[in-house]
Amino acid sequence: MSNEPNKDLFVMAEDREDTSEKINRPSLTFWQDSWIRLRKNKGALFGMIVLILIVLMALLGPVFSSHGLDDQDLSLSRMHPKIQGLENISWLGLDGKNYQEFEAETLELADQRALARFQQPDMEFIEADVKQEPNSETGEPAVVKYAFDKYAAQGVEEYYWFGTDTLGRDLFTRVWLGTRISLLIAFVAAFIDMLVGVAYGGISAYFGGRTDTIMQRIIEVLVGIPNLVVVILMIMILDPGIVAIIIALTITGWTGMARIVRGQVLKLKGQEFVLASRTLGASHTRILTKHLIPNTIGLIIINAMFTIPNAIFFEAFLSFIGLGLQAPDTSLGTLINDGFKALQVNPYIMIFPAIVMSLIMIGFNILADGLRDALDPKMRE
Amino acid sequence: MGKYIAKRAGYMLITLFIIATFSFILMKLLPGSPLTAEQKVTAAQRAIIEAKYGLDQPILIQYFKYIGNLVQGDLGVSFQLKNQPVTKILMAGVPVSAQLGIWALFIGTFFGMLLGLLASIKHNTVFDYGANIISVLGISIPSFIFAGLLQYFVGVKLGWLPIAFWGTPQQMIMPIISLSIFPMAISSRFLRTEMIEVLGSDYMVTAKAKGVSNFALVFKHALRNALIPLITVMGPMAVSLMTGTLVIEQIFSVPGLGEQFTRGVLTNDYSIIMGTTLFFAFFFILVILIIDLLYGIVDPRIRLSGGED
Amino acid sequence: MKKKSLLLLILGLVMSMFLVACGGDDTSDSDNSGNDGGSDTEQDDSGNDDSTSGDAEQVLNLMEGSQIPTMDSVMATDAVAFQWLNETMEGLYRLDENTTPVPAIADGDPVVSEDGTEWTVTLREDAVWSNGDPVTAHDFVFAWRRAVNPETGSEYGPFMMNGVVKNAEAISNGEAEKEELGIEATSDYELKITLEKPVPYFHSLLTFGTYLPQNEAFVTEMGSDYALNSENLLYNGPFILTEWNPTGENANQWTLVKNDDYWDKDNVKLENINVSIVKETSTGVNLYNTGEVDRAGLSAEYVAQYAGTEDYRTLGEAVLFYLKFNHDNEFLSNVNVRKAISMTIGKQGLVDVILANGSLVSNGAVPSSFTSHPDTGEDFREINGDLIVEDKEAAKEYWATALEELGTDTVELGYLGGDSEVAQEMDSYIKNQLEGNLDGLTVEVTSVPFEERISRDENSEYDIQNSGWGPDYLDPSTWLNMWTSDSPYMTMNYNNEEYDTLIHEANNELITDLTARYDNFLEAEKVLMDDAAIAPLYQRSRAYLWRPSVKGVISNPMGADFTYKYAFIE
Repeated sequence: MSNEPNKDLFVMAEDREDTSEKINRPSLTFWQDSWIRLRKNKGALFGMIVLILIVLMALLGPVFSSHGLDDQDLSLSRMHPKIQGLENISWLGLDGKNYQEFEAETLELADQRALARFQQPDMEFIEADVKQEPNSETGEPAVVKYAFDKYAAQGVEEYYWFGTDTLGRDLFTRVWLGTRISLLIAFVAAFIDMLVGVAYGGISAYFGGRTDTIMQRIIEVLVGIPNLVVVILMIMILDPGIVAIIIALTITGWTGMARIVRGQVLKLKGQEFVLASRTLGASHTRILTKHLIPNTIGLIIINAMFTIPNAIFFEAFLSFIGLGLQAPDTSLGTLINDGFKALQVNPYIMIFPAIVMSLIMIGFNILADGLRDALDPKMRE
Repeated sequence: MGKYIAKRAGYMLITLFIIATFSFILMKLLPGSPLTAEQKVTAAQRAIIEAKYGLDQPILIQYFKYIGNLVQGDLGVSFQLKNQPVTKILMAGVPVSAQLGIWALFIGTFFGMLLGLLASIKHNTVFDYGANIISVLGISIPSFIFAGLLQYFVGVKLGWLPIAFWGTPQQMIMPIISLSIFPMAISSRFLRTEMIEVLGSDYMVTAKAKGVSNFALVFKHALRNALIPLITVMGPMAVSLMTGTLVIEQIFSVPGLGEQFTRGVLTNDYSIIMGTTLFFAFFFILVILIIDLLYGIVDPRIRLSGGED
Repeated sequence: MKKKSLLLLILGLVMSMFLVACGGDDTSDSDNSGNDGGSDTEQDDSGNDDSTSGDAEQVLNLMEGSQIPTMDSVMATDAVAFQWLNETMEGLYRLDENTTPVPAIADGDPVVSEDGTEWTVTLREDAVWSNGDPVTAHDFVFAWRRAVNPETGSEYGPFMMNGVVKNAEAISNGEAEKEELGIEATSDYELKITLEKPVPYFHSLLTFGTYLPQNEAFVTEMGSDYALNSENLLYNGPFILTEWNPTGENANQWTLVKNDDYWDKDNVKLENINVSIVKETSTGVNLYNTGEVDRAGLSAEYVAQYAGTEDYRTLGEAVLFYLKFNHDNEFLSNVNVRKAISMTIGKQGLVDVILANGSLVSNGAVPSSFTSHPDTGEDFREINGDLIVEDKEAAKEYWATALEELGTDTVELGYLGGDSEVAQEMDSYIKNQLEGNLDGLTVEVTSVPFEERISRDENSEYDIQNSGWGPDYLDPSTWLNMWTSDSPYMTMNYNNEEYDTLIHEANNELITDLTARYDNFLEAEKVLMDDAAIAPLYQRSRAYLWRPSVKGVISNPMGADFTYKYAFIE
């Protein structure tokens, strides 16, 4: 007996040279991979769709409407919103009618108040709905709910979807034009922050040593200056307007970005691929722009995503304390602020811009959250 | 540690000095004079009064005087509130704003943490979504809208709380709640993310495998570790509190610092603007310093040394 | 370590809670004691005099838009300061409900010398300061000298007295000693005032806050602390200011308590006036609706809400708003351009829809219900009528003529406006009106804060400016002097000899001939409007929610907005 195994037990292996190196899954770039993961995140996807819709509306909304930014007509002042198809669903309040409840000792007195309130000579366009009959014995007053149809009174055939403001300007047009300007301010501010922050942070970290120390000292001082104060002081000395607001927002805004980029580059610059590149003779600029910055891009995008809603918010805040945009330019901030003054009287003036602004904020925040997960290399499967 | 603090204090002083200089220059660039509040005073007459306040002297001399006084803790007198020392005006506002801010911070983070905790423990349930919606709304609705609605519905319609002013505990509730919305939203979001990460980490799985109860798991182990990074959001929170006080104090007629700052801005009151600016800056730098120190205390991995972040 | 710091934090918060609680109690306690003091004194008095105060609590709760900048009468410049000075201090005269100066600290009307430059006023001897000192003629001498002394740094002192009281101008320019001011105490209770020239409206000037007396001993003793809070003040008016301290714990609220040492206390019915600072209109309306305040100013939005209710009230004011034209501008130097602009603006729409507070369309340079003709008693505005009215068709014709004369078909003009909500809305409307109605006209609106607008105004850095003016004394010249070419307020480079002559005559040769003087003013306004030198817009009115039970509040066209001395709760 020989210990030799039977040769029949062995089968010649197939030559698999061509497949052994084959990658089963399709090769994905960083972006493709991130996109796949982003797609799985329903919240982020929702945020993105909302944002795309809002951007589209900001670009196209004013085109749908036949009204301009500054088309005034005092006879159409403060028309309530009226939307085709929704006008019969009364609880929505989109039927263009102004509802007011009056309490008075008698029904006639209530009628008189309603006429004074709506500035009408008679009750032709006013519907009255008596909620409570007056009772002279118990002293209970009459409570009447009136609905005034200004569209009918002024013979307006058109539908003002978001209503009109004091000067009779179409709010639908103004809300989308305002959105456009708010987004513009936010994007430009975020972009400048990014540009300055990335350059500063990158250079500071990459060259290190004394350069880094000096640059960091400067940032440390700048970070100590409260953004709020700088913004307000800048707005005070510049002529108020879009440019002033952008300058004010970016003047110290980039420091956050610079810090993040610096931290990231510090981590990366000691790694082998950078060393390899340097050994191969790549210039500083090339290493920075081709190797270091692209590897921090995820963080940069996420940070910018949070900057945008902050800028929009800050602009609204500036409008509230009276340092916002100048008429007839309008932004979501100024519109909300105008509406805020009439919140108890004509809430519709504030509701629409506030909804748009909230949607933008929600959109950016959940999209940024999603992106953070999607761009995180640790999440890669 | 002591050396580190000394070093940081040095930077604080430099920063404050730069801010003082910066705001001084800006004030000089401002159009109009603090005395233009009345259009009836003629330019010639105003010049005489400006001379009295030393506003006609060369800018450098004004600057050195200003810095000199500043070093001695003298911020000058207000232009609008005639003869009132700025230091006194600020000191009247600080306790009010501090009360408002500290309470808002405390209540905001407390409820925010509760919300975040709930969301993370009941991850991907109705609670999670609910908490998420609340916190997203919290950061997406400007505080003045919230304050206005609160005042109208709770104060007028329901009549539960006083509408404005400051002093009694009841009067403080609505301003504090309005101001606490942002800290609440931001801390809830932050804690939720951190908790989910911590709960999913290997040592938590190990702890669970070793039979640690759910309660102990969450409160003894996970929460502790998740709380540390919460310090990082203190910076943004401090900023939100400052902007918040400007708005909230106006709506609820609270006599705090924010109100004085807006009044200064609206009346060109140089000395008040510079005083409040310096104070806000001081407060802000202090918060940053505290954040860095806290980091060193709670997280031994972070070394406290000069140029490192 | 961690636990410790957390503990500390909680401890700190708990402590601050206690502090808060104590603080709260403190303020409410002191509020109560204030009220108690008030009602005690009421019980003492009400037995003796009138029964109108009846059973209603005589407490008025008001709001103010901003802090009192100063209670030092010589330093005061704004409406808020003059308002509370008017309630707590008293000068020689006070305006009554017909806007006529009536004796206050003065005992009867002034005796005026024949040439009109020497005024002798006798003081009542029963007026006292709140520290018991009598109010004497020396107090007036001291205060007036202080007001014009350049070392005081008063803005309104020189503004109100220069060119009126003898030597005021020289003193305020540092060219004379303050003792040379034309005021002299001939005895403790007699004042001799020497004027620079006859000033027919001097009687009404004497009601103004800048002319209030001050107790020399007290002011000197207090030094730079004078008037910094309600403790550091002396009062001689119907009410005493308490709990006012802009650097105190409760800086946003103060209380006025009836002054029991006031010489005319029997006519003061209110026991307390509580004032709080509220800046937001909505907050004010909310406070009114919950009954915490008795009056709230309304913005246009709220007017729509409350018009027609019994609480709604509008109060006309003698404040005019108009467009100033820079006559050095190549286009605006053309009278037809100015007329076209002036006549094409829809002023009615402006007051009805945008302001919506009862403001009146203004068609002249002097407001209505301000002064009346010395002979006939007819209102200035009624005599001169509408001098320049809205007429879009005529405006178009003027515009066409103007373009022809200028040989151009496009005109570009800058427009300087305020940055308040209403101002911006109004300016967008005016821009829209001008551009929409006048072909080829482009208007560039710049909205700036008030200080900036004033500084641009002084440097004539504007083409068109939306501007306003309130009166300082009861005389048409408060409206018309400023349009003369040599006026310090002339920043729009308007120069019309005829106008200058008419005003100059009225202020000099005719100063004692009241009828001829008034006619000169009437004539001057016509010249001004013929030139369309300015484009009048509206005469302001304010809309309020006003508790119907609050009666007897007098509103004044100049100085303090209101007088609460005779107010009561029904």
